[in-house]
Amino acid sequence: MATIAVPLGAEAESREPDVVARPALSEYLRWSVDHKIIGVQYGVASFIFFLVGGAMALLIRLELLTPELDLMVSGAAYNSLFTIHGTIMIFLFIIPMWAAFGNFVVPLQLGAKDMAFPWLNAFAFWLIPPAAVVVLLGYFVTPAEAGWTSYPPLSTLFSGDGQTLWALGAHLLGISSIMGSINFIVTILNMRPPQMTLWRMPLLCWAVLATSIIAVMATPFLAGALTLLLLDRVAGTTFFDAAGGGDVLLWQNIFWFYSHPAVYIMVLPGMGVLSEVLSVHSRKPVFGYRMVGLSSMGIAFVGFTVWAHHMFTSLQPELRIPFMITTMIIAVPTGIKMFSWLGTIWGGKIRFTSAMLFALGFMSMFVIGGITGVMLAALPFDIHVHDTYFVVSHFHFVLFGGSVFAIYAALYHWFPKVTGRMMNERLGRIHFVFTYFGFLFTFFPMHIVGMLGMPRRVAVYDPAFTSWNQLIGVSAFVLGFSTFIVIYNIIRSYYRGPIAGANPWRALTLEWATTSPPPVTNFADDPIPFEDPYGYGTEASAAYLEAVDAAFDRRGARA
Amino acid sequence: MEDNRSNIPSISPAAIVVAAVFILVSAVGINWFTSFVPVVLPPQASAESKSVDELFYILVIIGGVVFFLIQGMLLISVIFFRARGDDRSDGPTYHGNPLLELVWTIIPSLVVVFLAVISFNVWSQNSEPKAAVNMVEGEEIAINVNGARYAWTHTYQTDRLGPDGVPIVINSGDTLHTYIGQNVDLELRTQDVIHSYWVPAMRVKQDLLPGNPATGGRPTEIRFTPVRVEGEAYPADYPIVCAELCGDGHGRMRGTVVVHEDESAFLEQFYEPAIHAILNPPADPVLRGEVEIQKYVCYSCHTLDSLDWESSTGPSLNGIAERAGDRVPGQSAEEYIATSVWNSQAFVVPGYTEQMAAFGPEVIDANNIMSPEQLYAIVAYLCTQGEQSDCDIDNASAAIPGAIKTVFGLEVDITFGQGDDEVSASDADGADASETEAGASGA
Repeated sequence: MATIAVPLGAEAESREPDVVARPALSEYLRWSVDHKIIGVQYGVASFIFFLVGGAMALLIRLELLTPELDLMVSGAAYNSLFTIHGTIMIFLFIIPMWAAFGNFVVPLQLGAKDMAFPWLNAFAFWLIPPAAVVVLLGYFVTPAEAGWTSYPPLSTLFSGDGQTLWALGAHLLGISSIMGSINFIVTILNMRPPQMTLWRMPLLCWAVLATSIIAVMATPFLAGALTLLLLDRVAGTTFFDAAGGGDVLLWQNIFWFYSHPAVYIMVLPGMGVLSEVLSVHSRKPVFGYRMVGLSSMGIAFVGFTVWAHHMFTSLQPELRIPFMITTMIIAVPTGIKMFSWLGTIWGGKIRFTSAMLFALGFMSMFVIGGITGVMLAALPFDIHVHDTYFVVSHFHFVLFGGSVFAIYAALYHWFPKVTGRMMNERLGRIHFVFTYFGFLFTFFPMHIVGMLGMPRRVAVYDPAFTSWNQLIGVSAFVLGFSTFIVIYNIIRSYYRGPIAGANPWRALTLEWATTSPPPVTNFADDPIPFEDPYGYGTEASAAYLEAVDAAFDRRGARA
Repeated sequence: MEDNRSNIPSISPAAIVVAAVFILVSAVGINWFTSFVPVVLPPQASAESKSVDELFYILVIIGGVVFFLIQGMLLISVIFFRARGDDRSDGPTYHGNPLLELVWTIIPSLVVVFLAVISFNVWSQNSEPKAAVNMVEGEEIAINVNGARYAWTHTYQTDRLGPDGVPIVINSGDTLHTYIGQNVDLELRTQDVIHSYWVPAMRVKQDLLPGNPATGGRPTEIRFTPVRVEGEAYPADYPIVCAELCGDGHGRMRGTVVVHEDESAFLEQFYEPAIHAILNPPADPVLRGEVEIQKYVCYSCHTLDSLDWESSTGPSLNGIAERAGDRVPGQSAEEYIATSVWNSQAFVVPGYTEQMAAFGPEVIDANNIMSPEQLYAIVAYLCTQGEQSDCDIDNASAAIPGAIKTVFGLEVDITFGQGDDEVSASDADGADASETEAGASGA
C-alpha cells in the first residue's frame, strides 16, 4: 500500500506514547468546568434517576398484576407513582442523559478543548440535583397526582403542595436545559476546526444542534406554562380556572407546544448516535449523509407544528384535521433516516458489538413506534385509542425502544473513550437479549389492551384484561432484571476491563484521535479531522487509522 | 464515488430468492395479523365503528408492509453482511444514491397523503351532525351526561309533563339506554375536572371540559348510532370508560351503554317504567329512599353492600344507622345523617378528606339538587342500614327541618306522611340563599 501522508496535528505527531491517568472518582463529586467531568456527572446522575424511575415502573406493573387495587393504599397513591415515574424518566433521565453524551462527545468530535461556556455548562448541571430534590420532596408531602402532563383543573384546584414543588422543580430543569442547549449551539457553530465545514460535521453534532435549537425555542413555553400554573396555585390567579374566566385548554396548548417538541429533544440525539454507531460498526459511510443531517432539521421544524394532536379529544373539531396532516408529514423525515440507516448497513461488514446490537435493536423497535405514530395521527382511529394503553405502548416504543436503546448503544460505544477500558462484550450481548425481548413483550401487548378498551393511568381495570396485564408484568420484570446486567458490566469493566487504547473501534471521527480517556485539554494542539467523518473503505482512511494507532499507544485488545 | 459503485452487491439469483421470500412472508404475516383484528378490537356496535375499523385495516396493512420491509431488510443485513471470522476489512465506500433517496422520500409522502385523505373522509362522515337525533316516540329529546369525580350521570329531558306541569327528567345514573338505529347525540358537562367519555364499542371519545357554571358550563358533544352486532343478545351492554385522568377513583369511573333491540323494547324496558316510577313514587319512605339515593353520585365514593357499591374514597355506609348517633354529640342519628348529606363539610369522618360535594335544594350544580322530601326518603333509607338502628324514622320528618334549620337557617315546613306527596319547602329568609351557595362552592 502506498504511504499516504496523514496530518493529525502537531500534538499527535510528536506525542510520546503514555498512559493517561483517569480522573479520581472524587473529581466527579466536585464542581468542575471540564466538559468530560460534567458529561460523566450528567451520565451517572441520570442513570441513578433511571433506576429510581424504573423501580417505580415495576411497582406500577406489580399493582396492575390484578384488576383490583391491592399494592397501593389508594388510587391517588397510584396516580402519584406514575406521575413521578413520568417526570423522572423525561426530565431527570432521558433529557440529561443526552446532555451527558453531548457534553462528553461533541467537543471531542469538534476537536475543541472544551465547550464554549465551561462555567455555564457546570452551572446547568448543578441545577439538576436541587431540582431533583424539589421534585422528589414533593412526593413526600402531598404528592403531585395529575400525571406528568398536569392538566388543570386537576393540577390546580384539586391537588396538594407536591404539585407546586413539581412545577418549581420542572422550572429549574427547564432553565438547566436552556443553558445547556445554548452552550451546544454556540460550541457547534463556532468551535469546529477550519477544515470541518457543516457538511463534514459528524452526524451526532448535527443531531445535537437540531435538538438544542428545539430546546432553546420550546422550553421557554414550558416555563411560561409552569409560571401560569404556579400563579394559579399560589397567587390566586385564574388562568386555567373557568369560573374565573380562564381556560383549561390554554394549559394544554402551551404545555404541548413544548412537550411535543420535547419528544424530539429526547429522540433526535439518539438518532445521531445511531448514525455514528451504524457507520463505524458496519465499516461503511453513512448512506445519504446530507439527507440524514437535514432530516434532523426537518423533524425539528415540523415538530413545532403538531402539538395539538395530543388534544384530539378536547380540541374544537374543526381544528383537528390540520394537526392530523402535520403529524403525518413528520413520518417522512423519520422514514428518510430509517431508510438511510438501512442503506448504511446494507452491504457493509457488520461487527456484532454490543453497541451495534443496541443500534440494530433501536431500528427494529423504533419502526413500531413510527408505525403506531402514523396510526395515532389518523384522527378517527386516534379518537378510539386516545389516552389508552395503545398510546402508552406507542410512546414507550419511541422513548424506550428509541431513546433508551440508543443510550445503551452510546454507552457501549463511548465507554472505552470515557474510562479507557472496554466493556465486556459477552455481558453486553446477554444484556441486549434480555432488554430486547423483555421490552418487546412488555410493551407490544399494551397496544392490544388499549384497543380493547383499557384506558391509561388506571389502578383498577376490567378483569377481562388480567391475563394481558400479567404477561406485561412478568416481561417488565425481565426488562427490569436486564438493567442489573449492565450495572454489573459497567462496574466490572471500569476496574477490570481490557485497556481500550485510543481508537478501539477504528473510527474516523475526532474523539478517537486522542488518548482514552482524553487529557484535560483533550488535544494538546489543534487536531486535523479526517476529510470525511464516515469515509470508511478508502486507502486514505486506512492510512489515517494506522497513523492514529501509531500516534497513540494502543495496548488494549482489538474489538 | 463512481468507482466504488461496483463494490455494492449487484442483483443476484440469491437476492431474487430473498425478495420472493420476503414478499411471501409479509403477505402471510399481514394476513395472519389481520385475522386477529376481531380479537384486538371490541365489538362493532355503532355505525361509526365500521368506518373506523376499515381505516384501521388499511393502517395495519400499510404498517405491516413497512414493518416487514424494515425488519426483513434488517434480518437480511445481519445475515448476509456480517463480518465473518477474522475479517477486519471495511465495507464499500458508498455514500448514497440520490435516486434512491428521492424514492424513499416521495413514496412515504404519497402514502401519507393517501392516509390523510382517507382519514379525512372517515372523519367527515363520522362527525357530520345527523338529523333526527335522540328520537323517542317521534320527538327529539335532550340527553345530558354529567361527569363528576368519579361517576357518570345520564339524564333524559322527556317531553312528558309531571303533575306539577314541569317536563319529567329521567335520571338513569351511570347507564345510558338507547336502541339500534337511534342517532345518539349527548351533551357532556363536567362538574369538576376534565373527564373523557369513551365507549370503546362505539369507537367514540370526547373530553368533558370545565366551564363557568354561572354561564351553563362548556358543553361538548358526542354522537354515535348503535347498530346490530351479529350474535349479540339484546338488550346488550357495552362499557363506558373515563379516559382522562380525573383523580383517585379514575379507574372506577365507569358506566354502561344498554342497547335495546328497537324503540319499542327501549320504551317498554326502560323509558315507560322510568316515567311510571317518577309519577308513582313508593309510598314507603324507605323504598323511595332506595330509589332516590341511586340518582346521585354517592356510589362513586361510598361502600354500601345492599346496593353493591364499593369504594374507599369516602367512609363506608354499611351499618351507618348503628354509628350515626355517636358521631356528633348532641345530634341524633337521623339529624347526623341529614346534616352529612346536605352539609357534608359540617363533620368529616376521621381518616377521610373533605371531598364530598354539597347537596340541597339550592346548590349551583343541577345534578346535586335534592329536595327536602328526597332527603327525608334518603335518611329513612340509610336509617335501615344496620343491625339495629338508632334512628327514630318516625322522627325523621321532624329531624330534617331541624337539621336544615341548624345548617342553613332555613325554615322548612314539611309534612311527609304515608302516601302523602304534598311537600313544600319554603325559604323563610331570602338572605340565607347565599349561605347555601357558599356551602356548595366550598365542597
